[in-house]
Amino acid sequence: MVFPGSRASGIGTGPFLVVILSFSCVLSHARDSSGIILRDVTKETGITFQHTDGSSGRRYVVETVTAGLALFDYDHDGDVDIYFLNGAPLKGTKVGAPPKNALYRNEGGWKFTDVTEEAYVGDTGYGLGVAVGDYDNDGDSDVYLNNYGPNVLYRNNGDGTFTDVTKQAGVDNGFEVGAGTCFLDIDKDGDLDLYVSNYLEFSYDKHVSTASAGFPVYANPRFYAPVPDTLYRNNGDGTFTDISKDSGVGAHAGWGMGIVCGDYDNDGDTDVFIGNDVAENFLFANDGTGKFEEVGLMAGFAYDLHGDEQGSMGVDCGDYDNDGLLDFFVTSYQSQLTTLYKNLGDGLFEDVTLTTGAGAATLAYVTWGNSFVDFDNDGDRDIFVACGHLQDNVERYDDTTSYLTRNILLMNTGDGKFVNISDKSGDGMEVKLSSRGAAFDDLDNDGDVDGVVLNSRREPTILRNDSPSKRHWIQICLQGTKTNRDGVGARVEVVAGDLKLMDEVHSGRGYQSHYGMRLHFGLGNRSHVDRIEVRWIGGQVDVFEGVAADQIVTLTEGGTKAKPR
Amino acid sequence: MTVLLCAAILSTVVSGSSSNDSALAPERETAALKREGLELAEALMKEFPDSEQPIVLLGNVCGRHGNTAKAIEFWNKALQLNPKLADVHNNIAWVAMGKGQYEDAITQWQKALDINPQAPGVHKNVALALMALGRHDEVIAELQEEIRISPQSSMGYFLLGQEYLQKKEYEEAKISYEKAISLQPNHTNAYYGLFTVCSRLKQPAEARRHMATFKRLKAEDMKILKDRNSAFDDLVSVRRSLAETYVEAQRLYQKRGNPQKAEELLERAIALNPENTDSLLELAALYLASKRIPEALQLSKRASEVEPNNSICHLNIGLCSAKLRRFAEAEQAFRKAIELTPDSSSGYRELALLYLRAGRRFPDARQLAEKALELEPIAVNYFVLSFARDRNGDSPGAISALKRAVELEPGNQLYRQTYERILQRK
Repeated sequence: MVFPGSRASGIGTGPFLVVILSFSCVLSHARDSSGIILRDVTKETGITFQHTDGSSGRRYVVETVTAGLALFDYDHDGDVDIYFLNGAPLKGTKVGAPPKNALYRNEGGWKFTDVTEEAYVGDTGYGLGVAVGDYDNDGDSDVYLNNYGPNVLYRNNGDGTFTDVTKQAGVDNGFEVGAGTCFLDIDKDGDLDLYVSNYLEFSYDKHVSTASAGFPVYANPRFYAPVPDTLYRNNGDGTFTDISKDSGVGAHAGWGMGIVCGDYDNDGDTDVFIGNDVAENFLFANDGTGKFEEVGLMAGFAYDLHGDEQGSMGVDCGDYDNDGLLDFFVTSYQSQLTTLYKNLGDGLFEDVTLTTGAGAATLAYVTWGNSFVDFDNDGDRDIFVACGHLQDNVERYDDTTSYLTRNILLMNTGDGKFVNISDKSGDGMEVKLSSRGAAFDDLDNDGDVDGVVLNSRREPTILRNDSPSKRHWIQICLQGTKTNRDGVGARVEVVAGDLKLMDEVHSGRGYQSHYGMRLHFGLGNRSHVDRIEVRWIGGQVDVFEGVAADQIVTLTEGGTKAKPR
Repeated sequence: MTVLLCAAILSTVVSGSSSNDSALAPERETAALKREGLELAEALMKEFPDSEQPIVLLGNVCGRHGNTAKAIEFWNKALQLNPKLADVHNNIAWVAMGKGQYEDAITQWQKALDINPQAPGVHKNVALALMALGRHDEVIAELQEEIRISPQSSMGYFLLGQEYLQKKEYEEAKISYEKAISLQPNHTNAYYGLFTVCSRLKQPAEARRHMATFKRLKAEDMKILKDRNSAFDDLVSVRRSLAETYVEAQRLYQKRGNPQKAEELLERAIALNPENTDSLLELAALYLASKRIPEALQLSKRASEVEPNNSICHLNIGLCSAKLRRFAEAEQAFRKAIELTPDSSSGYRELALLYLRAGRRFPDARQLAEKALELEPIAVNYFVLSFARDRNGDSPGAISALKRAVELEPGNQLYRQTYERILQRK
């Protein structure tokens, strides 16, 4: 959001645009005083991945939107591993060895090993979005890739290797330009179904060349037709059926980008949120049986406060104000603020960006990956925003922004407000690249949440959380027995003294990424959790009482005791 | 020094445009057009070294080229020469706003308001910046001030609604949106506001009704946007931008009493952007001033074809037609102007004058003059009312109106001389 009608009705924001301030790394440590410190440890990790968008100067629209990444424990060794998506050479691009996705095994101690080859997950398709879920309920995490071109489903063999089962499963999704993707149980039948967002109708013969002030630029997505998304129902036998039409999802064409699934109306089923580029966002409300109604406008999620559509990029959800309801945060294009939608609890959302400060510092940038993360374990969720323009020459015709930019960190002050602490949060926040996907998990199992950012055409940024906080925390892994194995869609409520926190397990979120299956709760000064309540998909509720803080626990469906992991 | 800077910018603009590839022709033309704009600014600076206006113009050119850092440098330099440039503060404010530097934007707009406290739109802009800063307590006062200055500002009312909505004062918000819609019936955003506020007030039927209107208007907006997008041509856009520079430049020549040069620049502006009504109307005004009435009429008609709903085009057609003694054509044009902008006094006043000068329909003329005055109690409207009253045999009324015109504009010789004449006649 920025100013009413600034795009659709041509009420301009003013004659000219924006600049970015940069700061010397040398000064960074002197300014570290926010309480949240994110250090750039990329060089120490052994990660050598370099993203490519497959470009050669022709400026195909797909180049601008690659890619997301996934954080998940592929080998069940207790460490969260990293899977980077990569682009692929587009028409006219010549490369030696084809670029591919890369899986890095977390060896502990901030060392990672490239295991792509041995794990058989080096897809050479054009990577855009990714989700992880145990679709066959065999106890390990499978991976779905939403590509430009045929999609890929990697089944985890449970021995550190994967098998491409796309064909058998029937989920290649034709030859679309992909975007975000999520596993979710739409019909409460105990297995994970698959939502696949599609961006726009593109092929080489539909490519549009355009310019701005004489400089060649990537064309606005409006030059390409919007397309409906795809929804696959899991048949429970390793195959899926395309139910886009029957489910109601296929009736809505949009420029789908980021996606997240969550139960916004507390009715016990999982709904789907799609951030659409250059058009209204979609909210597909689930009737509990896998039929969806698009209610974005009615719910107040489709547009910003002023009723203007955004260039939505990433979508994440979390309870930022600890009122027990899932709120949503959406990133967007330059000259638009990121948008925070507060859940009012009656099926309606309110854009509270301007009253909370959740759009601070974002106006001049194109914003992508995002997340609600309690970085300082103080019991409320902060916001991370990945930034970077999509026009690699934007400075030549608009010096108010730049292709390479810093990311933004907004700290939750605990009273429903956010303040921009990017300048005071360590050298990890001073990296200037063109970020896309961003993902967050506790990579060193030390009780605070770290981050990984995929940067277009460059190396990633690995952010180690070095916040000085000695506050307490708990991390929760769910294990479904009757419902899906990872508890995707289950809601967890943690009560510690006067603090009551809530979260859900998501598969696929933010900007075309996946992370956070192990739920993290910052507890502040509370060293003990009184009660954990899990509402599994389908409605069963389990309660776990008297759990010590500062540990990772597994809660099993039907159980009453939290097991240390 | 400024000229040197200009040359440096020039070299940036033209770099990378030397390819002989014919496919790059538009890029070369774009670079040439940008160079032309800078050269024009440079020429103005040489010709008017004592004026800050060419520096402002150079800043504007840089701004249009996306070089706002340089633009601000020039604008600040111009402000050093003449601190009373409200428009320049406004430009700087918008650059700050685009960067999210809201405090800086407010500072600039405050300076603009210090220069012209009654400037329409500025309080609204300050309110937008305050809203973005979360300084909600100050927003309403700014918007109320905006509405006091521009009572017809639908955007002012809409933003007032937005602020009340965020404060959860839903009834107040609703009233504000309704007012915005009464002023601009197709105000898409205000319908969204109404839909939202009715949802919060648990008025589902009304919410649905407003949602339906919003959806219809939004679909129309999106269609316009799509068409505009499809029709977008970067080269055309750069030509238009250069045309704006020519329009600005010619104003300087006009001010300095060189209408021939102004005419020349306007002709170039029109060649660059034949659909720019500003250029067409400004050139028409120059023709009118130099008694080339048929040419002025032709340009005004051309402008009205480009922008049929621009009442100024019709006013101009009326004025030219009146001078050519084409009564019916003039009458029709003034009526069209009134139809398009019923809240502006100009159409009523000019139609009244037409009747009075033609010696026809005096009672209608008086009624029209009264309406004009009601809308805008300014000197010229008192003057025309005086004329109308006189023609309708109301000498005391005529004298009192004329007296008021003289009071409002004591330096206007025409009013004064007429007033003295009419007093002598008495």
